[in-house]
Amino acid sequence: MGRIAINGMRKVVPSPMSVSPQRTANALAPVRSLAAVVAFLLAWQFLVPLVNIPDYVLPLPSVIASRFAETFTLQLASLAVTAMTTLAGLAIALVVGVLLALLVVYVEGVKSVIMPFLAAFNSIPKIAIAPLFVIWFGLGAESKILLAFLLALFPIFVNSMTGLGEIEPDILDLARLAGGSRYRVFTMVRLMHATPYIADSLKVAFPLALVGSIVGEFIGGNRGIGQLVLAAQFNLDTPLVFAALLSITLFTTAGIGLITLFERRFLKWRPSQRQR
Amino acid sequence: MSVALELVDVRKTFGTGVAVERAAFAVEGNEFVSIVGPSGCGKSTLLRMVAGLVAPTSGRITVAGKPVSGPVGNVGMVFQSPVLLPWRTTLANILFVAEVAGRNASSHRERALELIALAGLAGFENAFPHELSGGMQQRAAICRALLMNPPLILMDEPFGALDVMTRERMAFELQKIWAANRNTVLFVTHSITEAVLLSDTIVVMTPRPGCIQDIVKVDLPRPRDVKVLENPRFIALSTRVRNGIGLGTAVETTFVEAPGCAEPYAESRP
Repeated sequence: MGRIAINGMRKVVPSPMSVSPQRTANALAPVRSLAAVVAFLLAWQFLVPLVNIPDYVLPLPSVIASRFAETFTLQLASLAVTAMTTLAGLAIALVVGVLLALLVVYVEGVKSVIMPFLAAFNSIPKIAIAPLFVIWFGLGAESKILLAFLLALFPIFVNSMTGLGEIEPDILDLARLAGGSRYRVFTMVRLMHATPYIADSLKVAFPLALVGSIVGEFIGGNRGIGQLVLAAQFNLDTPLVFAALLSITLFTTAGIGLITLFERRFLKWRPSQRQR
Repeated sequence: MSVALELVDVRKTFGTGVAVERAAFAVEGNEFVSIVGPSGCGKSTLLRMVAGLVAPTSGRITVAGKPVSGPVGNVGMVFQSPVLLPWRTTLANILFVAEVAGRNASSHRERALELIALAGLAGFENAFPHELSGGMQQRAAICRALLMNPPLILMDEPFGALDVMTRERMAFELQKIWAANRNTVLFVTHSITEAVLLSDTIVVMTPRPGCIQDIVKVDLPRPRDVKVLENPRFIALSTRVRNGIGLGTAVETTFVEAPGCAEPYAESRP
């Protein structure tokens, strides 16, 4: 920001010399990641048999892959159940988190009233109170959604509060002097400023919501990917446990990937998204 | 479009400290007025009071004959830092003041592009702030202040964060842009050269408590170019401003405490 060129007219375009090595490095980054993963899987596949670890302890990648393929429809059906409760919990956390942050930013005094409750609540391990939700809400989707919501709420709320609240006072003064209304200052300044903060918090909140759903499934019910893991473990079907973990990983990666795509597409101006 | 501006016996205290003491001056329309003084003399506070962002402890401020009681719409503002919105391009940043006031941005597009050309930013309409140099960002901020052609523009040390060479060129560019519009400008600076170069009237303030020491009319012909810096009249005016601040006579390096405001400065207008 504070870059001051003595020649103010100079067009700030990166020279090809200074950029090409970095460009190449950026282009190579995904290739390098992929190569590392492949190398890891190959080592697992061909080095583990040398120490004679049985399949029910640590199955080989090929065994996991074939178990995954065999149970593909079951995986999909289980994942659909878990994804529903996870995304529902995340969506409610997003709405409630942003609304709470709005309340704190716009209504004076609210912060000192709700912060002690939220801080105390956040210090309770939500997983420890999960059995309580089963008592209150039963073994259906509700208890899982509630758990996912509670785990996802805090990071979304805290980041929204920062994003909506910490606006440079000068820009707010400028908007007021231009004759800007509160509503338009909200949509054009505060919300825009908060978007990257909220996108960031979703990257943390999404896996947390998934933890909530799966823990909910562990505690009760008979559906979802958490139940699949438990059932596989009960039958000592370790390859199926790993196959279920693979489903979870793919789901999380897809979710985080979507958020990252959104950032690349709409938040090009952020320091982390700038092309150097 | 421009307005007259009047301050009568304006005083501002923060807690026990006095920021501005009995400030009084009047500005006619179409004038470029500078407020000059050392750091901490209440220049910015004075500007914020005129904007209606801060209420004076006592005294009266009128803009276009109406007393200021809160932020008045359609006042242009330029701060020391550009405060551009990082997610908006140069053009969109300039159009921000129209959009936030609920006006149709597309009908101001042409005017924005004119200002961009005038400020030497052509070709950078679609650049984001981080792609511009500090001087270019500040020029965009000046264009933004001019977009709605506000009758009153307030500038709070707009070149304060720039390097000396950029700063000098910016002063000449601001003169050019202002000459095309002739809005009433209230310009806070601690650069005496900048003040004499740009202004019709200079309000000279002393530090702690900030009070008006002198009001200097600058009668140098416009447009003023680099040569004006060597003009004897320019030098004489600069010396008068320097003396007003209390720097001219202080040969020794110790800073002499300003004597406070004995009596409100009574301006005698010609």
